[in-house]
Amino acid sequence: MAESAVAQGTFGHAALFYRTEDDYVTPIAGFLREGLEAGEPAFVAVPAAKAALLREALGPDAGRVRFADMTAMGRNPAWIIPRVRAFVDEHSGRHVRYVGEPVWETRTAAELREATKHEALINLAFAGADADILCPYDTARLDPAVIAQAHQTHPELLCDGLREASAAYSGPLGLPSSCSSPLPCPPHDAMSFTYTTDLSEVRALVEKHARDAGLTDARAADLVLAVSEVAANTLRHARSPGTLSIWRDDDEIVCEIHDEGTITDPLAGRRRPAPDAAGGHGLWLVHQLCDLVELRSDSNGTTVRMHMALNPL
Amino acid sequence: MDLLTASVTARESAGEPYTLVELAGEADVTNSDSLRDVLDGEVAKQPHMMIIDLSALRFMDSSALHVILRANRVLDRQGGVLALARPREAVAKMLRLTAADQLIPVYSSVQEATAD
Repeated sequence: MAESAVAQGTFGHAALFYRTEDDYVTPIAGFLREGLEAGEPAFVAVPAAKAALLREALGPDAGRVRFADMTAMGRNPAWIIPRVRAFVDEHSGRHVRYVGEPVWETRTAAELREATKHEALINLAFAGADADILCPYDTARLDPAVIAQAHQTHPELLCDGLREASAAYSGPLGLPSSCSSPLPCPPHDAMSFTYTTDLSEVRALVEKHARDAGLTDARAADLVLAVSEVAANTLRHARSPGTLSIWRDDDEIVCEIHDEGTITDPLAGRRRPAPDAAGGHGLWLVHQLCDLVELRSDSNGTTVRMHMALNPL
Repeated sequence: MDLLTASVTARESAGEPYTLVELAGEADVTNSDSLRDVLDGEVAKQPHMMIIDLSALRFMDSSALHVILRANRVLDRQGGVLALARPREAVAKMLRLTAADQLIPVYSSVQEATAD
């Protein structure tokens, strides 16, 4: 296996597996310092408590690193790629370093699927970008299946200060099965409604259920717009009716749209469209408005599952 | 256009004529063609200023936004100005998330829009 860091001017994406604070801080601070010494901009998005450890280790150098709390910035993992893209674009022409920790043990199963998918999409979104990305994984707390997926979504692993290729890497277009296989079935008591042309009716249903579930006016409106945008795609692109399903549990309300259309772009909704773009705003809005979005699409059809927490943080 | 109504009036503010388009109801992909016809028709008259009053618009999706962005492009090319006024909270948020509010000025009143 090749040792040493990836040459400057190329894209790198490595997973770092840690068990202890020291396993965490030493390699990450080293990765950041190496960049700072070369004058490279650095961005760190990790849970706030972890950021505090890194700040302490970096001392005065921490002031030269941009920090974000990943539990806010990446609560919906689809929000992360646009933020990192903005950082890369802001420093266009320079090599940048990014430390991103989107996976932690208290995430729900759906969030873990999406965080893993996000990690896989990083390879596609930043292919050819002048960026080096390091993603820490807490092997003491995370499920071994999640760690196995990190081996698939990262072209490289950082072990004992050395980078090596990940033998299990699925390639820039590969997705671990958890984020490409069909979603778990909706509960049996989910409400189901078929629409052909009347989106107003779709919106009224979503609004009623969102209010019954106790969402605030603003968050109910967010969900209504998100569902309406996806249902509008049915009218535009699918040649058959669409189905809206709605259910909720103690934690969230979920709206799902299924139709026979196909979405081919794996990064749909994760690129900020130019304000004047003639398209692309719909799925961008859907991802921005919801707490979590799961999307599965193939030649048989498309399912978009939109989650809204009942008690958002 | 049941779900969405658009009424157009020629107005004047401090001696300057402007076109006021008042939208009411819900603007989505099912009526964006009609909305485009209305806006295209008004833009073709080459007004110096066109203000779209959104206060009675309960809902707007990205298809309606695209129609408005298109009108803005053409009007801009003609040397005219498009402004949006009085969006409800959800519509204002959508304009922010798409950054459309950085291309088209958004005002809290029609009067304010005419003053600029």
